[in-house]
Amino acid sequence: MDIIVKTSGEDFPSRIVQMFENVIHQGHGSLVLVFLIGIIFGGIIQYTRVDKFEKIAGFAMLKDTIVPKMLFLTVGLTSIGLYFMIEAGGAHYHIKPILWQGLIIGGTLFGIAMAILGKCPGTGPVSIAEGRIDVLVGAIGGLLGGLVFTLYYDDFFKPLMGESSGKLILTGFFPGNEHMVVLIFGVAVTLIALLIPKVEMFDEADLSRLPDDKRPDRK
Amino acid sequence: MNRLPWWMGGILMSGLLLMTFSIFGADRPIGASTYVPYFAGLIFNLDPEKYTYLKEVKNAGSWEGIMLLGSLFGGFIVSVFLTKTFRLSLIPTGWKKYKNNSVLSRLLWSFFAGFIMIIGARLAGGCTSGHFMSGMSQMAISAMIFGTVVMIVLVVTGKLFYNTKED
Repeated sequence: MDIIVKTSGEDFPSRIVQMFENVIHQGHGSLVLVFLIGIIFGGIIQYTRVDKFEKIAGFAMLKDTIVPKMLFLTVGLTSIGLYFMIEAGGAHYHIKPILWQGLIIGGTLFGIAMAILGKCPGTGPVSIAEGRIDVLVGAIGGLLGGLVFTLYYDDFFKPLMGESSGKLILTGFFPGNEHMVVLIFGVAVTLIALLIPKVEMFDEADLSRLPDDKRPDRK
Repeated sequence: MNRLPWWMGGILMSGLLLMTFSIFGADRPIGASTYVPYFAGLIFNLDPEKYTYLKEVKNAGSWEGIMLLGSLFGGFIVSVFLTKTFRLSLIPTGWKKYKNNSVLSRLLWSFFAGFIMIIGARLAGGCTSGHFMSGMSQMAISAMIFGTVVMIVLVVTGKLFYNTKED
């Protein structure tokens, strides 16, 4: 029996096959590597529990600071490492343009949504994978959002995003002092991560499974 | 509830970002919101030749789509074997404490938030992963604008939306 792989059809299964084909041919890592990056990404988010409603909505209520501490630490460490990797030719810049209207309107909608849903597009799927049905409903809303954005992109959303003011990076404002700026930025952001006071909102549903002396809220 | 401390998570996530950025890795940043319109195109069977946006996100959307499959798999395995937090649930404990006990309310708000979240992320051109982590790590000004707006709106919404005084 011959196995036929359709790569040009328009039905759902052949478009899924095309998704795999796109990744294989676009030169951004092998299929296995991209899948592995996903596993590690989801694994880190799950193992640190930052996908929880109590961590993200908890930060919105200023009752939990694990998410900003981890985010700032990630950015602080990566910024220094990445800059020198780029200098050495081991990586490239991938800068997004400054679209003032898009960033401000989009950031506002995103901030409201993140506080209410208690997830973002990276942590949401990890929550769905651990059985959170409310987040699955949020993802269906997200798919419809993606549909509306695609349908009205030319007529409404693209004009709403405004014109690009360029792809600027911080070091571009300090010619000649790039190394110093990178070090100051990286160290300052890392310090912010360390200095944000550690506050936590716990979830009784998780804590109740632990023995009394292991509960982090009773220490 | 076994878990890694936040600093370990930061170090590991940083390592993953550097590996992904590296020319020996994927030579691109990590992003996690472009796959949504890409999947919307697949599920609602939109003609990729007809819609400008589907052409624009063809490569990034499929890359993130595969990453998402990995992320679902990684999240599931870790939740079952390491954190042991896998369970079906409709309403988070924090929502019950600071909002209400209504499943319908939680599901309707989730749906609404998911909808505006993706429109917001696509208007801005990125999300927590693409802008905040990958963009700020490159010291991109666009990411700093996005990060500032999101942090302010997040905290203001948190104050207005939840009854945080009932502690």
